[in-house]
Amino acid sequence: MNWFKNITAGLQSIFASTRTEQEMDEELRGFLDASAEAKRRAGMSPEQAARAARVEMGSTNAVKHHIRQAGWETAVENLWQDLRYSLRMLARSPAFTLVAVVSLALGIGANTAIFSLMDVVMLRSLPVDQPGQLVLFGDGRAAGSNDSLPNDSTRLYSYSFFRNASKKNEVFSGVAAIDSIEFSSHGTLVGAGRETMRASLVSGSFFSVLGIAPDRGRLLTESDDQTPGSGAVAVASYSWWQRHGSDPATVGKTVHIEGTNYTIVGIAPPGFFGVTVGEVPDFWIPLSMEKEMSPGWNGLNDKWFQSLYIIARLKPGVSAAQATANTNLIFKQYIRSEYLGQSPSQKDLADLAHAQVELTSAAKGLSRLRRQFSLPLIILITIASLVLLIACANLASLLLARSTSRSREFAMRMAIGATRSRIVRQLLTESFVLALMGAVVGVASAWKASHLLLTMASHSAEVASMKVGPDLRVLGFTVILTVFTALLFGMTPAIRATRVDLNGSLKQARGTAAPSSRFSLARGLIVAQISLSLVLLVSASLFLRSLVNLTKIDTGFNKQNVLVFSLDEYTAGLPLDARLVYLQQQIEDRVQSLPGVHAASFSMFTFNQGEWSDDVTAQGVPRTPENSKDVLHNVVGKSFFSALSLPIIAGRGFDSTDRIDSPKVAVINQTMAQLFFPDSSPIGRHFGFGDDPSHSGDIEIVGVVKNAKYVRMQESPEPVAYFPYTQRVQYFGNFVVRYSGDEGQIISAVRHAITEVNPNVLVGATSTLTEQVEDSTASQRLIARLSSFFGILAAFLVCIGIYGLLSYAVARRTSEIGVRMALGARRASVLWLILREILVLVGVGIVLGVPMALEGNHLFSKLLYGLSPADPASLFAAVGMLIVVALLAGYLPARKASLVEPTVALRCE
Amino acid sequence: MGQKPGDMVQGTLEMLILKTLALQAMHGYGVAQRIEQISAGVFRVNPGSLLPALSRMERAGRVKSEWRATENNRRAKYYELTPAGRKALKEETSAWGRQTAAISRILEA
Repeated sequence: MNWFKNITAGLQSIFASTRTEQEMDEELRGFLDASAEAKRRAGMSPEQAARAARVEMGSTNAVKHHIRQAGWETAVENLWQDLRYSLRMLARSPAFTLVAVVSLALGIGANTAIFSLMDVVMLRSLPVDQPGQLVLFGDGRAAGSNDSLPNDSTRLYSYSFFRNASKKNEVFSGVAAIDSIEFSSHGTLVGAGRETMRASLVSGSFFSVLGIAPDRGRLLTESDDQTPGSGAVAVASYSWWQRHGSDPATVGKTVHIEGTNYTIVGIAPPGFFGVTVGEVPDFWIPLSMEKEMSPGWNGLNDKWFQSLYIIARLKPGVSAAQATANTNLIFKQYIRSEYLGQSPSQKDLADLAHAQVELTSAAKGLSRLRRQFSLPLIILITIASLVLLIACANLASLLLARSTSRSREFAMRMAIGATRSRIVRQLLTESFVLALMGAVVGVASAWKASHLLLTMASHSAEVASMKVGPDLRVLGFTVILTVFTALLFGMTPAIRATRVDLNGSLKQARGTAAPSSRFSLARGLIVAQISLSLVLLVSASLFLRSLVNLTKIDTGFNKQNVLVFSLDEYTAGLPLDARLVYLQQQIEDRVQSLPGVHAASFSMFTFNQGEWSDDVTAQGVPRTPENSKDVLHNVVGKSFFSALSLPIIAGRGFDSTDRIDSPKVAVINQTMAQLFFPDSSPIGRHFGFGDDPSHSGDIEIVGVVKNAKYVRMQESPEPVAYFPYTQRVQYFGNFVVRYSGDEGQIISAVRHAITEVNPNVLVGATSTLTEQVEDSTASQRLIARLSSFFGILAAFLVCIGIYGLLSYAVARRTSEIGVRMALGARRASVLWLILREILVLVGVGIVLGVPMALEGNHLFSKLLYGLSPADPASLFAAVGMLIVVALLAGYLPARKASLVEPTVALRCE
Repeated sequence: MGQKPGDMVQGTLEMLILKTLALQAMHGYGVAQRIEQISAGVFRVNPGSLLPALSRMERAGRVKSEWRATENNRRAKYYELTPAGRKALKEETSAWGRQTAAISRILEA
């Protein structure tokens, strides 16, 4: 029970400290007396004996101090003392404390906010059993369906290959397939209203491969995924179940989605979102129901319909290389036997030789966001940590200045017996208190900031559904960051401050202007801040200029005054034939007749919504490597070109003569015309899909339209072919309307008109073409905004640093300035004397910072559009801004110096 | 660590205190005196190290203390060994014996 005794004794000495103290005193007195008595007996006089005993013992306080230090409670007491003392010292200089806490809060908060995003997007593993064993076939960089012969590193797979791989592989303990498209449709829970339901189609093995146990009910099994149409069951996500009141009776209820009734058989566990980060389906439905979910799809029977992701779990002990070898063997055998007939062509064999499956780790799941935002987030956290570094340098120089003014205090404390380590500990406690206060404010604001960052990053629903915010991991990160920060800015000043020459510090009332090493350290810190903030300002202005370049790009279409309605026509219950086309034409005509509407049209894509592409062969044009590449396609209504203000350059647009039974027609863009028919008019020429010349007469070109951006602002002009929906019947998700006048009135009028034509067509969210264009550059916008914010913040911190340093220098040199002025120096020359010092520091900072900036900027040249990372204008802008900022910060103290009255200055010595 | 008499090998002070107290309970000054006497003045134990050591050993449960009257009727804090203290003394003595024997062997080799 020694530890118990130790603790009680410690507690006793904390809480009954007077008694412990008394006992200690008594024991010491007894010791002294006994010692003196022994000396007396040895023949000393009583006075001599008492004196000798005291000399032997030394300072009683020191002895008591040593005794006290033998117990743990002293450390606690000291800490408590240091804390109280720190708080008192900080409260005594509120301006310093405020600057310190705010700059630390911004630095720590920014890092925490960005780290919490990185954690969600890049670092966190899937909440499944042993995620490290999961591999994805391909790199997951595609979604949709692919119908060409695999001739490259593959990403999407057919249902039959999935079955084949599950059966034949020797390296996986389980294989699961997930449809690469998440379905967003409208459905109803029995007894509830219609709602948007997101469904993910997965193989029966999905949950068992991931190792998930149901929250209640059961999950999907192989038996749900046997024959097409046989598995009308659904597993609900926990969050969907919560939104519906966590009703225990939900299991067993029916949901009606796209014309089919599904029985809810179970609820997935909380926090489980499948394998795609940022997408939380409401339901998981067996792949056997693909045709019911998406009419017109025939993936279960069609080996050319390659639209699945495949995720597999490695058997224990199987290496990545073994798994890759086995998978590719199966894949090639499968392609050879299923896709290539008895006598494959040379080209097919060459394609097969290039086809391969690359296995990538699926531990963190799939994520579009990760691809889009990984580099931006890494850049942002680098920037944020630079800001924190600047804040640290800034604080260190402020602490140095403070410690100089406190040197008498330290000298006094050391003279009366404080050890140096005790004072260093005290000063570090002050730093920790500051860092802790900064961290608390920082984390509180990071909570809000990470959400703000997300909404800045994208308006999309998948982003909105993500859970970010400080959890234990993030808080752990912040704690480490805070400790590191406090040590970084507190250590050097603390050690420097205690390196005092006792005699000198106590004697001198105020230092003379002799340049001390402490002062040059402060200058070094200012130079470091200047060069780091130069790096930040240069990158900020690069990102800003790059963004300006992006927004200046001609989209081809006119993005102003165009509304994009997303809708679900499938709910009207019409089959894919002339009746659907008639409904679509009716809707277009009715909306177009509304006052204020200039054009209205359905379209497969507007901008930045994905792509449909295929290679084509033009009649009478030999295939070359250039014209064998994919051409982008779009299916549109007859008013599409006027809705987007795309002028027809030659021939005609679509009109009512293009019917389902009339010859197939297309309008192509300038680039496609140039590519296939460089020397002649394309009007009246023909082309067909694929490389088969016998189909090259299928489609007649009736017009040429101006080039427009399709997927990205940065894309070089791509060949595009447009087809009329009258000849390619399909359900649309986009309805574009060009209007003039009040947006709100038009929106409600259009919704109303569509409902009048057919109340079952569901009109969803409305956005504008301008928003779509802006969303396509979301990551650039995010970086430009945040890097400018951080750049300005850095410049502001430098401002404070320079101001602090100069005020201190001016105070030290008051008498010197007085002498100079007494000897006839003019105010202007004193002003210059001070400002010159700043300009030298800025000069050195810039000379050091420019190479750093140039080196660093190469890291993100990928994100810059239309300018080089060594863009001189950005460099000059940053340098100019820093000089202006430095002079502004320096002006006040310099002016104060120039206003010094010589008589006052000399007297104050 | 200087060369003046009174410096002792690190960690030996506690062992010496344990040995001193093994004979009888003593107050602080008595311990200091006894060590000095027996070592013939080689070790002079300063109260600045003796009292903290006693306090540390008390915390560790190797000695216990009690206020008693001294031979000339003053109150003093007397320390005596606990069973744990006796055990520690035995262990440290044998460890010390092994160490010094080893050191002498090295020095004589």
